[in-house]
Amino acid sequence: MSKRKDKEKVFEIKWKTDLPYRYSIGKLAVKFFEELKNNKKILGSKCPKCGKVHFPPRGVCADCLVEMTLDDMVDLSPRGTLAGFTVVNYPFVDPNTGGMRPFPYGYAIFKLDGADTYTMHFLDEIDHTKMRVGQRVEAVFKEERQGNIDDIPYFRIIKEEE
Amino acid sequence: MPKNDVAVVGIGQTKFRSKRRDVNIPEMIYEAAKMALDDAKIEPKDIDAIIIGNMDHFEGINFSELWCGIDAAPGYLKPVVKVATGGTTGSSLAICGYYNVASGIYNKVLVIGWEKLNEGGATTGIITAFDPVWERPSLAGALGPLALMANTYAAKYGITPEQAAKVTVKNRSNAANNPFAHLQMPNITVDYVMSSQMISYPLRLHDCCPQSEGACAIIYANEEETKKVTDNPAWIQSVATAHYYTFGTDTIMFDLPSAAIASKEAYRKAGIKDPVKDLDVAEIYEPTSWSELSWTESLGFCKSGEGGKILDEGITQMGGELPVNPSGGVLSTNPIGATALVRVAEAAIQVMGRGGKRQVPDVEKALSMGFGGSLWTEILILGKEPKR
Repeated sequence: MSKRKDKEKVFEIKWKTDLPYRYSIGKLAVKFFEELKNNKKILGSKCPKCGKVHFPPRGVCADCLVEMTLDDMVDLSPRGTLAGFTVVNYPFVDPNTGGMRPFPYGYAIFKLDGADTYTMHFLDEIDHTKMRVGQRVEAVFKEERQGNIDDIPYFRIIKEEE
Repeated sequence: MPKNDVAVVGIGQTKFRSKRRDVNIPEMIYEAAKMALDDAKIEPKDIDAIIIGNMDHFEGINFSELWCGIDAAPGYLKPVVKVATGGTTGSSLAICGYYNVASGIYNKVLVIGWEKLNEGGATTGIITAFDPVWERPSLAGALGPLALMANTYAAKYGITPEQAAKVTVKNRSNAANNPFAHLQMPNITVDYVMSSQMISYPLRLHDCCPQSEGACAIIYANEEETKKVTDNPAWIQSVATAHYYTFGTDTIMFDLPSAAIASKEAYRKAGIKDPVKDLDVAEIYEPTSWSELSWTESLGFCKSGEGGKILDEGITQMGGELPVNPSGGVLSTNPIGATALVRVAEAAIQVMGRGGKRQVPDVEKALSMGFGGSLWTEILILGKEPKR
């Protein structure tokens, strides 16, 4: 890169602001987090028309434009198969905390057994040479659960016979 | 069918850099807008409406069209419409502007895309564009998911980091021929790319697009108004948009299914049977080196898994049968709200034959592509003649 000959004059005004928000998570998510907190269960939603099992659970099947209700929620396995992985190794501010997201961290795209969609979450591995597409992964649950996604802090790579 | 034929008759873009601390947002927008007006040799009074866009939350601002689109754009006492669709913002702007003239609502429209990424945090801003409960916690902006895409693509077809690095070498050395490009690296090598820092496996620093500041503007006119201002317009022959998902990881998405769907529709509308033979140049939206390999496949330039092969055969190189990204592409310049509009502007420049050192000879038809965070694709085909 070329050096700029005449140095730019810097005049800065700095401030820091907290911008709090609150979100409605939706009917199906309420049920999901109740079951996660109380029973260590992972629920998806099954379209009553085409039978596609969605994870995360959601109110509408995009393929059919058909509503999915609490009655359409189904149990999913805590295990799945890796389709892709990475190790995030760069700094940035996490908008959900306002602080820096700790890194490096592993995260992956995988399909839970019983689901028709893929999902992404943290992986308990930061060495990319130890990961490969097709590996089996399993949800790790916190003992003290709050009813939020941190109740599954990460998935871990498992050998199938475990 | 569109009521009117529509042409690009004026183009303006700033020199893109990582920082433009010498100007504020309206001052930066003014540079591109004035350049486009001067290029078309028309006055602000000749413009019927302004279509302007960026991704406000990347800069931590809001309603920027109200304070940036009125005087600098120049939208004083005119209709001003804001468009913000993530990475596709620039192509959405271009398609929105096209609709406004093609429909007969306006005769001449000024379209402006811009971004001043250094003023905020793009990764943080991008994360806020996704579901706060399900997606934000692990999402790492754009590069994390693009790394997953590269990884799944590599696993499926056995693509190597070296093949990807060749894309960066091609595009950043092309950028050295483009006076507006941000990263111009005429002497870049595969080793240089492959020894850069691992950002998010398998993406290394130089597999990734930069963050740029700058603005791009184009002026559209209908047939009658086009004749008045230029004898060298670039006509819009077709436009297409395709969306794909609910949550970003619902499907294995490395091949960007929306690119296949949108490009097929754009080819059909523009009468293109074989894109490699019928198109003369393509300005595609490649946020990473890996994505250019994969998405040239999705655009139908080659079979699945052969993106690296057509690069090695020279097809997508300058001088090849279908040069991809003579401007240097997104790997060289990425001012998000302007990025996809730069693709359209560069396609128009190629059709007009005004590309200077980056000009591809005898361009009759050019493709431009926008890609957005919701995994959607927009395509515009431009040509020397209106498609009728």
